[in-house]
Amino acid sequence: MSDAGRPQDNRHSPALVWRRIRISVQIIAFIAFLYLLIGLNNNGNLLLPHHLFFVFDPLAGIMATIGGREFIPVMAFGLLTLVLTLFLGRAWCGWVCPMGTVLDWTKGGRGKRLPGRDSAWQTVKYGLLFAVLLGSAFGTLTLAFLDPITLLYRSLASAVLPVINALITNTETLLYGFEPLRGSLDVSDAFFRSVIMPVSQPVYAASILIGLLFAAVLALNVVKPRFWCRYLCPLGALLGLVSRVSIFRITARETECTSCGRCARDCPMGAIKSEPDLVVQTSECTLCLDCMVKCRADAMSFAYHAPTALAYEPSRRQFITASGLALVAGGLLRLPSFIRGDKRLLVRPPGATEDSLRGLCIRCNQCVKVCPTGGLQPSVMPEGLDQLWTPTLVSRVGYCDYSCNACGQTCPTGAIEPLTLEAKRREVIGLARIDEDRCIPFVENRDCIVCEEMCPTPEKAIVLDDVVVTGKDGRPVTVRRPRVIHQLCIGCGICEYKCPVEGPSAIVVEPSEPEGRQGGSGNGQGFGRGNGGGRNAA
Amino acid sequence: MSINRREFLRSILAWGIGLIAARSLFSSLGCSAPVQPSPAAPVTPSPIPPSSTPQPLPTPTPKPSPTPTPSPRTSSTYLAVARGNSPATITETAIKAIGGIERFVKPGNDVIVKPNICVAYHTYEYAATTNPEVVTAIVKMCLDTGARRVRVMDQPFGGSAEQAYQRSGIAEAVRAAGGQMEVMARMKYRNTPIPDGKDIKSWLVYQDAIDADVLINVPIAKTHGLSRLTLGMKNLMGLILDPARFHSNLAQRVADLTSLLRPELTVIDAVRILTANGPTGGNLKDVKLTNTVIASADPVAADAYAATLFNLTGNDIPIIRTAAQMGLGRMDLKSIRIEELSV
Repeated sequence: MSDAGRPQDNRHSPALVWRRIRISVQIIAFIAFLYLLIGLNNNGNLLLPHHLFFVFDPLAGIMATIGGREFIPVMAFGLLTLVLTLFLGRAWCGWVCPMGTVLDWTKGGRGKRLPGRDSAWQTVKYGLLFAVLLGSAFGTLTLAFLDPITLLYRSLASAVLPVINALITNTETLLYGFEPLRGSLDVSDAFFRSVIMPVSQPVYAASILIGLLFAAVLALNVVKPRFWCRYLCPLGALLGLVSRVSIFRITARETECTSCGRCARDCPMGAIKSEPDLVVQTSECTLCLDCMVKCRADAMSFAYHAPTALAYEPSRRQFITASGLALVAGGLLRLPSFIRGDKRLLVRPPGATEDSLRGLCIRCNQCVKVCPTGGLQPSVMPEGLDQLWTPTLVSRVGYCDYSCNACGQTCPTGAIEPLTLEAKRREVIGLARIDEDRCIPFVENRDCIVCEEMCPTPEKAIVLDDVVVTGKDGRPVTVRRPRVIHQLCIGCGICEYKCPVEGPSAIVVEPSEPEGRQGGSGNGQGFGRGNGGGRNAA
Repeated sequence: MSINRREFLRSILAWGIGLIAARSLFSSLGCSAPVQPSPAAPVTPSPIPPSSTPQPLPTPTPKPSPTPTPSPRTSSTYLAVARGNSPATITETAIKAIGGIERFVKPGNDVIVKPNICVAYHTYEYAATTNPEVVTAIVKMCLDTGARRVRVMDQPFGGSAEQAYQRSGIAEAVRAAGGQMEVMARMKYRNTPIPDGKDIKSWLVYQDAIDADVLINVPIAKTHGLSRLTLGMKNLMGLILDPARFHSNLAQRVADLTSLLRPELTVIDAVRILTANGPTGGNLKDVKLTNTVIASADPVAADAYAATLFNLTGNDIPIIRTAAQMGLGRMDLKSIRIEELSV
């Protein structure tokens, strides 16, 4: 430990004890976060609410409320975090936030001096917060990808865990070749699978982008400890604003302080300015208590403080720059994608519409994580920036399981409506179309029928027609050709997933706009969702 | 607690090597290795009655091939059909009639029971998945005979295995009976040569299904868009990877797979049969209550008999016809001794 060489440290001083408590709380919160992340699957059985961290994240709640023009009761828990901040300042950042914990554990040294004034860098996060809120007001939550809880969850769920899963599977498969190891592999696989890792390997096209962003956040942590929290985190900015009026805060007792500057030098948030006078910026302080532990004069105290100082005094230039950037960012997001026009390009999970996803989806990727087939993917680009990383069903990768309604049940904001299994089974999300230029019975006059076999609807939405055609040898042969019954197809995509044709499937599920469903791709603010409606309502 | 990174890595490496070495050593001494096939006498996998001399086999895997066409000239019953209201009772009756479970399962055997749990969508009443009572009756009989381990598994094509196990009612029933549900692991599919295969010479097959001492196939009788019916032999497709690619030349490929896996016993659940919209089902009006269980050591004969429940014959079903031509069993029901029982 770095302070091992300081004999004057009292191992039982209150500051040390409190710091130890803080680290314990961090560890517990992080374990809970990991548990909820890893344990989330469509079999249920979690000991805590799966969206615990998201509902206590006030930024996520504010964004979804503004973006969705809708009060989401469960997200009101975020207010508790704000109240806590009102009392204790940014304790969330230093004690609870799992992103902050990861950054605490991966920071390297004191870091480098950045060019320019530190306070200017600190202002960046307020600009980002502004941009996030402005984007929400414009109706898109794309910038929710900057929320630390969604950032960490999405990165781990959609980029890190798939890699670990592949690693385990490949190792197991390799070792399984050695017969003496098979018994122990049986045991370890039964432990890894379904409890810790999914049975099937998830593959996400967005993994690289998501992973790179996470890597960048970790890399910046080497440049400066908690670079993310200091300069970028919009949730930190929000809590920082609130903590300006917090009632308890860390201050230096002028009577004791020797102005040695040690605390300012070592503060992992750069929250203490020592020149000319020692000032602890409450908006930056995460209550890590390092300064209290390190102060040789025992001058730092955590105590009641009349909420006087409301000083947020960025220079005018900083303020204008930040606002300008936020406006540009927020505006850019609502530029329609140049290839979209007004046509829907993506198949969405049952119970979601383009509007509900744009305005309510906080991009946490819990639905992606919970999807048992791996078909639900963070969308990359085709629908435009305003839909970045919202869930889309890519049927060639995985289908919408007829026995599963987990995505809607998992969504913390209601961007995906929590349909019952019965309603979900009737929810039309797309329509299958057979490509007769690729389909085996059409092209090669050979039987195939896989799509018909897989079709899960009680009355099959794919039927087989016996057609007599001229075979290769000139004689008539009977071949069974599939045909889609539009009124029965729900667009689950299992036909596209299982189609044995190499490359693109010979049967593809495309977005459909069934009559009787309101909402859709318009820019309206009400999210009419065909509640178990669609073509099968009758 | 001070341990530096290098020490940590070094000790991990040492332990890893040590464990692997110890494991190999032990297994080479024959001390541990619960995975190795039990040294108990291999069960003759062909449907030859126990009275005939068992063939001496050098190793239980791969299963001997080719198996001669099972001989119907025998005093014992070749195929049994039991009818009655209790699925468990008719299962026991049918198996008893063809020589009892002891004919197939010896004490200490590792048994795999392969029901049809093809989708996670419906409860067993929809007749898309095998009746849990039929499965558990078999699990119990195996355990009572002294089987070392009885595992039940399938690879559903719709939905996750765990959900399918649960929704079908099979998971709960099997666990209560003392059997194990195994979620089929990706690592266990190995490229396996199919020496008797006419169309496919190798495929990714579940290693345990080949290694197990006894494989009991417990399909449910259902309609199917291509093979017309899915019965016992088609049910074996749940033991391979990438079954969708099987569908070109399905009949031959299923017959090829049967020649590799050669289930020791086939018990067809026809308590409820699905007469339309199979194999997935979902409509109770497509389900017909037939209260029948068919048991035979001959996978072809069992399938051929089950076809008659749909007013078809073995000759109508390409898989059955092809398998019979390959000599995997008999589809001519007149040439075999069938015992029909009502309980």
